Parts: sequence; C-alpha cells; structure tokens
Amino acid sequence: MKTLVSLDVNGRTYEIAVSPELTLLEALRYELGLTGSKQGCDKGDCGACTVLVDDRPTLACLTLAVAVQGRKVRTVESLAQANVLHPLQDAFDQHGAAQCGFCTPGILMSAVSLLEQGGDAPDRLSIKKALSGNLCRCTGYTKIIDAVEDVAANTSSPGPPGHTGS
Amino acid sequence: MPASKIHTVKQTLHVIGQRTPKIDGPTKVTGEALYTDDMRLPGMLYCKIARSPHPHARIRSIDASAALAIEGVHAVITGKDLPVPYGILGWSRDEHALCLDKARHVGDAVAAVAAESEALAVRAVDALVIEYEVLPPVLSIDDAKTLVDEPVNGRARSGNVLKRVELEFGDLKGEFAKSDKIFEADYFFHGTTHAAIEPHCAIAKVDGASRLTVWSSTQVPHYLHRELALVLGLEESRIRVVQPNLGGAFGGKSEPFDLEFCVAKLALITGHPVKCLYTREEVFYSHRGRHPMRMHFETGVDAEGKLTAVRSKIEMDGGAYASFGVVTTYYSGQLMTAPYALPAYAFDSTRYYTNKPACGPKRGHGTVQPRFAFEVQLDEIAHDLHIDPIELRRRNFIGDFTETINGQRITSNGFLECLAAVEKASDWKARRSSLPAGVGLGVAGSMYISGTNYPIYPNDMPQSGVQAQIDRSGRVTLFSGASDIGQGSNSMLASIACEELGVDRRDVVVVSSDTDLCPVDLGAYSSRVTFMAGNACVDACRHLRTQILEVLRSEWHIDEPLDIFAGEVRTKDGKHRLPVKEAFRLAEARLGSLGSMGWYNTPKLGGEYKGGSIGASPAYSFTAHVAEVEVDRETGLVDVKRVWIAHDCGRALNPMTVEGQMEGSAYMGFAETLFEEHAVDARGLHLGPNLLDYRLPTPLDTPDFEAHIVETFDPEGPYGAKEAGEGPLHSVIPAIANAIFHATGARLRELPFTPAKVLAALRATSIPERLPPLEP
Amino acid sequence: MLPLPPFAYHRPRDLEEAVALLSELGPDAKLIAGGTDLLPNMKHGLLAPKHLIALDAISDLDRVEVLDDGSLSIGALTRLSDLAVHPTIRVLIPVLAEAAAEVASPQIRNMGTIGGNVCLDTRCVYYNQTQFWRSALGFCLKKDGDTCHVVKGGKQCVAACVGDTVPALIVLGAAARVLGPEGMRAVPLEALYTTPGSDHLKLARNEVIVRFEVPRPGERLRSGFFKLRLRRSIDFSSFSIAAALRLDGRTIQDLKLAAVALNSKPRVLNAEKLGVLGQDLTKEVMSHIGEQFQRRATPLDNINVDSQWRKEVIAVLVRRLLERVSAVGAQTASVSS
Ligand SMILES: Cc1cc2nc3c(=O)[nH]c(=O)nc-3n(C[C@H](O)[C@H](O)[C@H](O)COP(=O)(O)OP(=O)(O)OC[C@H]3O[C@@H](n4cnc5c(N)ncnc54)[C@H](O)[C@@H]3O)c2cc1C
Ligand code: SF4
Ligand code: FES
Ligand code: FES
Repeated sequence: MKTLVSLDVNGRTYEIAVSPELTLLEALRYELGLTGSKQGCDKGDCGACTVLVDDRPTLACLTLAVAVQGRKVRTVESLAQANVLHPLQDAFDQHGAAQCGFCTPGILMSAVSLLEQGGDAPDRLSIKKALSGNLCRCTGYTKIIDAVEDVAANTSSPGPPGHTGS
Repeated sequence: MPASKIHTVKQTLHVIGQRTPKIDGPTKVTGEALYTDDMRLPGMLYCKIARSPHPHARIRSIDASAALAIEGVHAVITGKDLPVPYGILGWSRDEHALCLDKARHVGDAVAAVAAESEALAVRAVDALVIEYEVLPPVLSIDDAKTLVDEPVNGRARSGNVLKRVELEFGDLKGEFAKSDKIFEADYFFHGTTHAAIEPHCAIAKVDGASRLTVWSSTQVPHYLHRELALVLGLEESRIRVVQPNLGGAFGGKSEPFDLEFCVAKLALITGHPVKCLYTREEVFYSHRGRHPMRMHFETGVDAEGKLTAVRSKIEMDGGAYASFGVVTTYYSGQLMTAPYALPAYAFDSTRYYTNKPACGPKRGHGTVQPRFAFEVQLDEIAHDLHIDPIELRRRNFIGDFTETINGQRITSNGFLECLAAVEKASDWKARRSSLPAGVGLGVAGSMYISGTNYPIYPNDMPQSGVQAQIDRSGRVTLFSGASDIGQGSNSMLASIACEELGVDRRDVVVVSSDTDLCPVDLGAYSSRVTFMAGNACVDACRHLRTQILEVLRSEWHIDEPLDIFAGEVRTKDGKHRLPVKEAFRLAEARLGSLGSMGWYNTPKLGGEYKGGSIGASPAYSFTAHVAEVEVDRETGLVDVKRVWIAHDCGRALNPMTVEGQMEGSAYMGFAETLFEEHAVDARGLHLGPNLLDYRLPTPLDTPDFEAHIVETFDPEGPYGAKEAGEGPLHSVIPAIANAIFHATGARLRELPFTPAKVLAALRATSIPERLPPLEP
Repeated sequence: MLPLPPFAYHRPRDLEEAVALLSELGPDAKLIAGGTDLLPNMKHGLLAPKHLIALDAISDLDRVEVLDDGSLSIGALTRLSDLAVHPTIRVLIPVLAEAAAEVASPQIRNMGTIGGNVCLDTRCVYYNQTQFWRSALGFCLKKDGDTCHVVKGGKQCVAACVGDTVPALIVLGAAARVLGPEGMRAVPLEALYTTPGSDHLKLARNEVIVRFEVPRPGERLRSGFFKLRLRRSIDFSSFSIAAALRLDGRTIQDLKLAAVALNSKPRVLNAEKLGVLGQDLTKEVMSHIGEQFQRRATPLDNINVDSQWRKEVIAVLVRRLLERVSAVGAQTASVSS
C-alpha cells in the first residue's frame, strides 16, 4: 500500500506516494527524476548510490524512502550552485578524476562529507579511508585522491550548508 | 580497398599534448550525464530474463500461462521467438538470444517477460514453469577433453574444441639445440571479469514508422546494429542503435547480449518501449571476461641471456560460447613476439567450450595471460644466469622499425626508454640490493596492439569515419561512430578539431555512437579508437583547414603558409590575422556550406600465412612496470606498496587522459593478481556473483601508481599517437610476481596470489640470501 | 534492481509500543534499525517479513553514557561510526571503537547500529546469495532446503556469527538489556549466542535490545581488536579477535579472548582455560596463547576465504594482537562523560 511521504531533497520538499518497499535510490532515480545517484549493485557493495542523509554519507539502495521523512537528503545534483561547479566537482574535472563517471556522484558525496568535517586538511590516507566505501573501476583512484587532496589543501572548509557558527 | 592515409606530424602543436580536461567532464561531475538506465520513456515496460539454474540442460518445455495471467504482464518470449543464431564473429555464430534447445551455463537466458514494473517482471519470471532435462556438465578443460558425447556447443570443431592454432616460425629445433640452457615451466592464469560499475542496460522503442531504436550500454554500436538486423530479420536501415553515456566497459560490453535482442523483440511485440537492466549477478553471468589459461612455456637462451627460441602450449577454458574466442586463440600466441627478438618461436593454443559463462575480451585480450607466464619465466632466467632482470630485457630488445619473427611490422618502439624510466623512478639499482627481506622489487615488460587491420566481418570499407561540420556560430560539430566508454575518445576527437581548426573547446560538439547520425566506427575494442577514429578526425578536419586557409590566402593575396590557433588565423609575422569564426563565415560565403568526411583504414599488414593478419596492428605500444611489494611472511598477505608504469603511447595527445588509462590499467591488473577470481565450482555455480564476494580493491587496498609517459611519435598514428588503454595492464601482473620472488624467494606461477598460496609457497622455499648487487 | 518484497512499515514512538507491535504482529514482524543487514537479506529472498518495525523514531536509543559507578551504557541504536570516534569509548574501551571502525564501509557504519550488529544474521557463502543462485544450488538447511553444503551430511546449520562488535562486547563482559512483554532482562553477550546457525540468537521474537551495559573497565584494562579480511574495506570478517587484558606488572591478572567468523557462536577463552593465569606475559606465553587459541578454533568453509589458511594464521594473529595490546599502556586518564 502506498503512503504519502514528504521528502526533503536538495532543499526542496517533494510530496510523493510511495510503497514502503521503495528504496531511497529508486525514489530519487525513478520517482523524482534525480538520476545523478547511480546503482551498481543495489545491495551495499559498491557505493555508487551514496547520498548524504543529515550530512552523513548513506547508501540510498539500502535506505527506505519512507525512513528519510524529516531528514535532509542531499544528492550530487545539489552541489553545483547556479551552474557554478562545487570546488570538488571542478577539481574532479580538472584532474581527470571522472573517466566513465558512473562512480563519480557517489564518490563526490563521500568527499563532500569529508571536507565538511572541517579541521586540518586530510592527508591521502584519510582521503582513502573516507572513500573506502566507493568502488571505481576506471581510474585506479589516483586522480580521484589527487583531486580531493587538491581541494582540501586549497579551501577552508565551510561546513555543511545551513550550519551556523564556524 | 582504399589505401591508408599517413598523417605527417605538424611542426607546432597548440592543443595536442596539453593536459586538457575532458569535454564531458562537467556533465559527469554534476550527475547530468545520462546513462541508459537514467532514461525513462512514456509507457515503458520492464523486461526480466529467466535464466537456467543448471549448467547443462535440455529445455523440455516452458509454460508461460501463469506468468501471462498476472495483471500487468504483457508478453513472454522464448528461444522460438528469436531463432536466428548470432555471434560477434561471423564464423562462430553459436548463440541465441534465448536458448533454443539447451542451456549451457548457470545463468543462460531461457525466456524473457515484459511487465509494467520491474517487480512485476520478477514475479512473472518466477511464475514461469520451465522443465529441464539435466545433462552432465563440462566444467573444466579436462572435462572438455573427455566428456565429448554431449558436446557443450554444436559449433565445436570436434568434441569441445572451438579452435586450435598451431604456428611455428624460424628454426625452432635448431635454435633450441644451440641454446646453452632451456627453461621450462607450467603457469596458470585464472578467470577474471570486467566488473564495470554500470550494469548492462538496454531500452528499445518502435516508432509509428516501424523504426526500431535501441539504446544500449554497448561499446560496439555498429556490430550491435548488424546483429539486431540479423536476428530480428529487419533491414539495417530500419534500426537505430544509440549508445548513451557508458559506465565503464573494458571489453565486457563489446558484443551483443541477450538483453538487447529481448527488449527489441518485446518492443516489437507489445508496441511499448521496453527496458532491461541487468542485476549485478546477471553481469557476472554475461561475463566475456579473461579466459582461464593453462600454459606451458619453454625458453632457450645462450650464456649471455639472449633468447634463442620460445615455445608455448596453451589451453583455454572458454565457457559456453565462442565470443571472440577464435581471435583469443590467435592472440595468445601471435602477440608474444615483441618487445624481445625471438630467433624462433612456436605456439599451440586450444580453446575449449565448457558449461560456464562465456569468456571473451577483457582489457588486454588474449595476451595478458601468456605475457604473465613469459615475463615470469624471463625473471627465472635472469635469476638463474645472475643477470639483472632489466638488463636481460634490454639485451633482448627487438628494436624499432623492424619485423617480428611472425611477420608483424613494428614501427616506433620506446621499450628501452620505458625500462629506463621505471628503473630510474623506482631507484632500482640502489634499492634492489638494499631492501630488507620481505620487501622486493620486480620488473616486467610487454607490448600491445593499437587496433588491428582485421575487421570482424571481412570488408574493404574504412574502419572509422568522422564527419566535421562548421556552422555560422563558429562551432565545429563532429559526428563519429566511435564509442566513448569513459576513456575520453570524444574529448580526443574534440582536441583534434581544436588543433586543426583553432577553435576553443567550448565550440566543439561531438555527436557520437548513434548509428542514425554518425559514420561507422567499428567500436571501442582492440585499443583502436585513438588510432583509427583519431586519424579519421584529422582527415576530416584537415580538409576543412586546407579549404579555409586557401580562402584566406586568396583574400589576403598572399602565398605564405598560415597558422590557426587560439581562435585566430594568422600569418607567421602576424601582419594578417582574423578570428576563426569570421574566417569560417568568409569561407562559407566563398565555398558554400562547410563540412567534410574523413576516414581511416589500416594498410595491409601481417604475415603471409593463415591467421597472419590476426594481431597485425598498424602500431604497437610498449610498457614496462616495476612493482614494490611487502610480503607478510607469517600470513602470506602481500601488500603492493607502489607501482611505477612507463608506457610508450607514441605521442600523448592528452597526457592527463593517457595517465588515467595507465593508472586504471595498472589497477585492473593489480586487482586480478591479488584480489579477484571469477570462479565456477564443481556444480557449475559461480562462486559469488556479486561485488562483495568478487573483491574489487577499494581505495585503501590500492597502491600509489606513478605513470611515466614515454613518447615515440609513431609515423602512422594521429600526431604520432598509439594506444594507451590496454597495454599498461599487462606487465604489472608479472612485475608483482617477480617482486614477490625478490622479496621472499618464493616463485609463484599460479594466479591469483591468494595469501594461502603465498604462504604455502613461502613454506616450500628456503629463503635464499639476497643476491649480491649485479653489475649493470 | 533487486526489488524488496512488500511489507507494511511501522514507526513506533516508544519502546513499549515497539514490543506491543512485535507481540501483536507475531512472527511476520521484524525490527529494523539501520537496515544494512535486513534489507540485503530481504533483497536476496532470505526473509520476507510482512511488517517492519523501525526503531529510529524512539528517542534516546543512541546514547553513550558513563554511569556513576563507572560502567558504560551504550544505546542499541548507536551508530557504528559514532562508536568508532566516541572519545570515551576510544580511551576506556578501545576494543569496541576499533571493532566498530572495522565494520563494512564508512557509509554502512553511518547507517548500521550496534544493536543490529549484535543481531546480525549468521552468514554463509551458500546462504547470502540471490534467490536464483540458491535455487541453482538446490537451497540449504538454513532456508528452503534440507542439506548443508558446508558440513557434508550435516544436520545442523553452521553459518558464521560475524558481527565485529560481538567479540569486543564479550571480552568487555558486556550484557544486553532486553525489553520484552514481561519486562526488562539482562543477557550477558556471551550467553546471547547458540547453535544452530539458523537460529543463533537467544532472543524471543518480541524482544528488543535496548542498550548494552559494559562493566566499569577500571584503570588497568587494556583491550584491542583485530580483523582479518582480504579487503581493507567493504569486507566481512574472515576472523575477528578481541582481547581484554589486565596485567600486574607483567603478570596476567585477567585475560579474555573472543573470536567470530568461525561458526554460529563466538569462540571465547579466558586466562584460566588457556592455563596462563598468573603467568608473566612473555613473548613465549603470547605465542603459546596463540597456539592454544588456534587449536580450539575451527574456521569452516562457510566463508569464501580458504578455511585451512585461516586456521593456519590464527596463532600468529592472536599473538600479534597480544603484542600490540600489551605494548600500549593501560588507560589511566580520567575521562569525563
Ligand atoms: C556490504 C556490506 C558489508 C558489511 N560488512 C560488515 C562487516 O564487515 N562486519 C559486520 O559486522 N557487519 C557487516 N555488515 C552487516 C551490517 O551492516 C552490520 O552488521 C550492521 O551493524 C547491522 O546493523 P543495522 O542497524 O543496519 O541492522 P539491521 O539490518 O537494521 O538489523 C539486523 C538484524 O538485527 C535486528 N535488530 C536490529 N536492532 C535490534 C534491536 N535493537 N533489538 C533486537 N533486534 C534488533 C533486526 O531485526 C535484524 O534482524 C555489512 C553489510 C553490508 C551490506
Ligand atoms: S552452514 Fe550449511 S545450512 Fe547453514 S547456511 Fe551454510 S550451507 Fe546453509
Ligand atoms: S548501489 Fe548502493 S551500494 Fe551499490
Ligand atoms: S570513473 Fe568509471 S567507475 Fe569510476
């Protein structure tokens, strides 16, 4: 049976009728048309579906759409503001960190969360740890880590949007 | 056949050779890039495929009545609906979209349904009643030799043999007899698969004019186009194949698959668009990955370590269908004759059918396995003769602009520079002799093709065509049948247009891999795209460039050469200059609408014997790897700390994407050395068809890769370019094996190097004293 | 996609309501915390509960507190990523922080809870597969079939308990506080697990784990965790071992070792059983303990990592863990809660 839920995705509220068994990934991709988040395994093994739920990297394929009511969901579509790329997006582009690009949205969301944690610029090992739930088959990760390192070294982290007092 | 065209290198290059972001980079980082499963058409139905739970079974009956009774289920099709066999190679059309008579591996497609949702389609598949008569399965090479009463596949030559190739070059007997020493050993390479992160997906739609469009995550739109026409019995001109953005392929999407035929047929039957998205498990069953190979290598050398003769015997476990297997059988021998000079060489390769998911072309098709064996054997020779392994390889270098013993034309060859680059970068000389026990450095080398002159179906037409068009906004639009599968081929084409026509990257649009819009390119396989589509693009753009410059010379009443770059046409002295956009309009006014077709075909290549053209490439790339490993002697766990890669790619059209290919290749080879195994057990069951059991290394498992580009300027490649997408995979595997030997004295000849195997090998080895440093 | 079977979704506001729902809905109902075990299993057709009862709307289930008596209370809904970085836990009982940090991947640790980890279904290469794959196998004892493929001819499922926090909680002497229709009860973690692997939790269907209570660690407690796995992330355990140790000088006052990824019960051994109580923890003794543990642990082919190799390396892994744990000083800093 479908129930009406209200989802806060990328700062916008969507009212949709969903069955409880609909995953957040299916809701995003097939109900809301937000196809940036990808599906590579549908069971937690690859990280392609990573989105932020209340600022934490979360696998949309193992999250029920009904369960994110009252939580803030952010997807790759939220990163570029008014057609200006997020610094991480720009760095991925400049470093050639996206080859086929299929893992990229998920990896970006894990990286965004890492940089939003603030503190000292993360070193390569911390970056690898933060991205260790995301598989990429194309790049060997080298350029991905380069790109994140580059942004980490060159930006002061602003913290997640909507958070005050930095 | 039209003659090939050789493009001489221009003096100054402005765009080519620069590190340039890819043209599709921005849409990929924003998530806007549309992949096949991102598309949804009105009224679309969802297809699911019923698969055989038996490795070998005759299909007795299929009862679809219960499935069809489910509300929302529109159609069920079986093998009878698609009875025409197909296969990527015309002479081994041995598979059906849905099994006709029998199923040949667990996961073989038996029936397909179309329903209004994916969940419904899954239910409908469960409701199908399929009766099987179980047959004894053939699950190994040894089975294939003995269980011949019920052969796996009727296309077999005899028994379960798909193909055997025996070739001999030079005076093998004499050379072996002359040898001071002969080394002989058995090697094994296990099965591995591509595991692109995007699962295969296809959508079909029939429009009011009865034209069929198929969108598919394929890396060979042209071949898919042909096979769809064949199997569906439709004219090619009524079919359009479009490849949307592709989420990785690596050879795993380089032939037609059951889903493409099924969605097309179901769309034709139901009148609705139909989509099929594989589950990850289905991706494993569709496979076409690396062939498991049992290999015996015998190598003779003189006292100085010069190779005299090499002989191999190779047996391949091919799985249920031929795929590219005939080519694989040739490649396993034909591509071993460089970078080292072999006075005599012979191979004897056989590919068997077995009841397993079919093997095919995974990155480095057919050669990664024998390259592993041979490069480990070279290390054994170097060790035995007390010759530094890099030095041994140098001594046997075949040279450039020469011919191999099996008649392949070698053009530029930067193998020595590759060796030098990894030797220096790894500080080989100092560190080889000073590393603590348990830590080791290993080296290996390899070569690979930049496309072959052998089209999959015999024809004399070009291998690749590119159309360039200039419009009044100053924009250049390129139409190319080539498939960008993440390697950046569209960006490569754009760079060429920028170089030739002086336009900004933002003013180049690439329309690719759409059979309605683009001239044919044969597909993204055999590392052919940069070489062939690149040359075709140079050809197309040069026509326009010449025409435009001619117009300006006459306009300016001058005779001198002109240059175009940075948005301007200008004379050397800068006296005359004009923005390209204006130049384009002027040229259009003088000449009419601006457009041109370019194309490329390979010259006639290869030895004058049967199979002599298979593996014959217009140019070969060369690679050397050094790997550093640390072996935990108490557990057998191997940690690859760093990998240095040097690759001769001719000219690096875009060093950033070349490095990306080198790093990605090394990653994939590293992964299959230590982590991955596509294994089928004694029941015919895949041992873990998912990304949890099939372990792709995560960022934490992956060493740092250091890519060193070696440029050699090939006379035939576009601006001198050769391939970079597959070659840099090969030698990382033997480099790791050789590094483990250096670290521990344990010689590993059977992949993958699981800790259990490494530990067993360590126990069987009395750890030798580190050898004294060798003179260079 | 791997569609989930249909179910009704309930989100009780308090624990009593959750327990009442469980009782009312009977065996067709299942609790869901992070869902990172339950949902993949449902996608594989291993279970198809008609009702899911979510715990996430119940407040205060994700708290970590140090109580007046020095003991710790860890809410069942505490997420693994929070446990891994929790300053008090890292200092007082590092074994638990280390174990939590080794689970799955960063995303799954953000979703998965300690309660779910403790209740994690047992795993087996022949069980954690799709419905199709298992049908090709002919199913097994644990679900829909009648044979075991791990122990040929076996009459009992031996699927592996693999929750990484389980051995950590055991060596800490933790107990689960469980709420049922009859009220609250305490179950020592060690006593929570049983055989067979198809029914390995001694928890009634209508009981909810509310929190875990860890006795006061005291100043001299040293603890640590090691997980063997082939991949450094996104990989279940091939052998996980936790150690808690109290030394007086070099003398072993107390030692507890617990391991998972063997069969459906954790393997637990203490100083007494190992025969090392009161001995000095020398290099030789550490090796001896490793060998003792190895002797009494039997890895099975329920995990897709060579069981013989796992057996072979256990002695080394246990010894190394003891070396590491005994080398760092016991925690002495006082930690405010
Ligand atoms: C790719 C992948 C890798 C993984 N790797 C690991 C790993 O390395 N190590 C590891 O330990 N686990 C691993 N897991 C399993 C799982 O993610 C973790 O065990 C996690 O801690 C489970 O917690 P959860 O809250 O998500 O549990 P859920 O899935 O919500 O629940 C699991 C079970 O516990 C029951 N349950 C949950 N909470 C309670 C409660 N309070 N009282 C009573 N019953 C309850 C549920 O009914 C269910 O039966 C992995 C999972 C995936 C998908
Ligand atoms: S241990 Fe045996 S019964 Fe249990 S899940 Fe594995 S195969 Fe099935
Ligand atoms: S699709 Fe969610 S983890 Fe793979
Ligand atoms: S860029 Fe292709 S999977 Fe990462």
